Amino acid sequence: MDTYPKTRKRPWLAVGCFAAGSVLLSSFALASGGGADRSADLLDLLYRWINFTLLVIILVIVLRKVPIKEFFASRIEGIKKELEDLKTQKEAAEGKARDLESKLKAFEGERKEILAQYRADGLAEKERILAEARDRAKQILEQAEMSIQYELQTAKEKLKDEVVAVAAQRAEEIIAREMTDRDQDRLVNEFIETLGKTH
Amino acid sequence: MRRSKVSKRYAKALLSLGMEEGRYQEYGKELRDFADFYESHRELNQAIANPAFTLEDRKEILKALLARSAASETIRNFLNLLLDKNRISALGEISAFYERLTDEVSNIVRAEVVVPRPLAGEAESKLGRALEQMTSKKVRMNVRQDKSILGGIIVKIGDLVVDGSVKAQVQGIKESLKRGE
Repeated sequence: MDTYPKTRKRPWLAVGCFAAGSVLLSSFALASGGGADRSADLLDLLYRWINFTLLVIILVIVLRKVPIKEFFASRIEGIKKELEDLKTQKEAAEGKARDLESKLKAFEGERKEILAQYRADGLAEKERILAEARDRAKQILEQAEMSIQYELQTAKEKLKDEVVAVAAQRAEEIIAREMTDRDQDRLVNEFIETLGKTH
Repeated sequence: MRRSKVSKRYAKALLSLGMEEGRYQEYGKELRDFADFYESHRELNQAIANPAFTLEDRKEILKALLARSAASETIRNFLNLLLDKNRISALGEISAFYERLTDEVSNIVRAEVVVPRPLAGEAESKLGRALEQMTSKKVRMNVRQDKSILGGIIVKIGDLVVDGSVKAQVQGIKESLKRGE
């Protein structure tokens, strides 16, 4: 609001200063020159000065018609607002970044805890599986040992039975071949004597 | 089982009658002779026991048979009774029961003796005496030969078996070896 009166007076003051400066410079030029050959230059200078002055006046009028101050003021305000918004956003982003950083740190700690827990669980599971495998292996070995002993015993008994059966068969064959009437009579007499003694 | 009981009853009835008449041993012999004849002639027992023929016809056949035999009147009547009661097919069983009952009455036991070869010299009489001494009864021996016992002797009296065979001794040794004794 304060800048408005200043900007309203300043163009006129500038134009005045500029015109006075131009006149003064022209006077100096006239004073330093001399003669008729210089009048043409002065006239030319005058025309140029008028031309320039008109240009300046047109510019001032045109510029006064266009709300360039308001444009720049609003532009400044917009930039300021934009800067403030950006600052706010930056602060929010920084806050968010801090939050994320703290969350990241917390997550990192949590991750370490989870990993440590998983590692501990894994080790416990590993130990359990190993212990179970050891027990199972022990059981399998014991069962295998029992089966071997059983099979061995069965094979031994079977072999013994077969040997005994063959031996008995051979013995029967030999007895049948070698048995005489005398042997038979002796056996019968022994049987009769045994009956007599028993009863 | 039921038939055995019935057969035993008939045998007991005949023994009772025979004992009353004092001829039970004679009846036993007659019954056994007829039973042997009856069992050994298949056509005869099929004709007499076959209900396809009338009872009168079958009685006529039996009467014709008995007319040629020296069987006593009691035995004739007993056989006719068996035919009337349709028990003639159990004649062999009744005869066996009768023999067992007469053995009990006469204090006789029957011994089955198994040997691989015939008994020599006085062995059979010595064995008979030893068995009579053992059972305190008269012993009637039936000696049978069986080479599979290898040697020695086996005596069966009723349910009692005295095995003195070599085969039994070999089997005993075999079982001992199996047990690892």
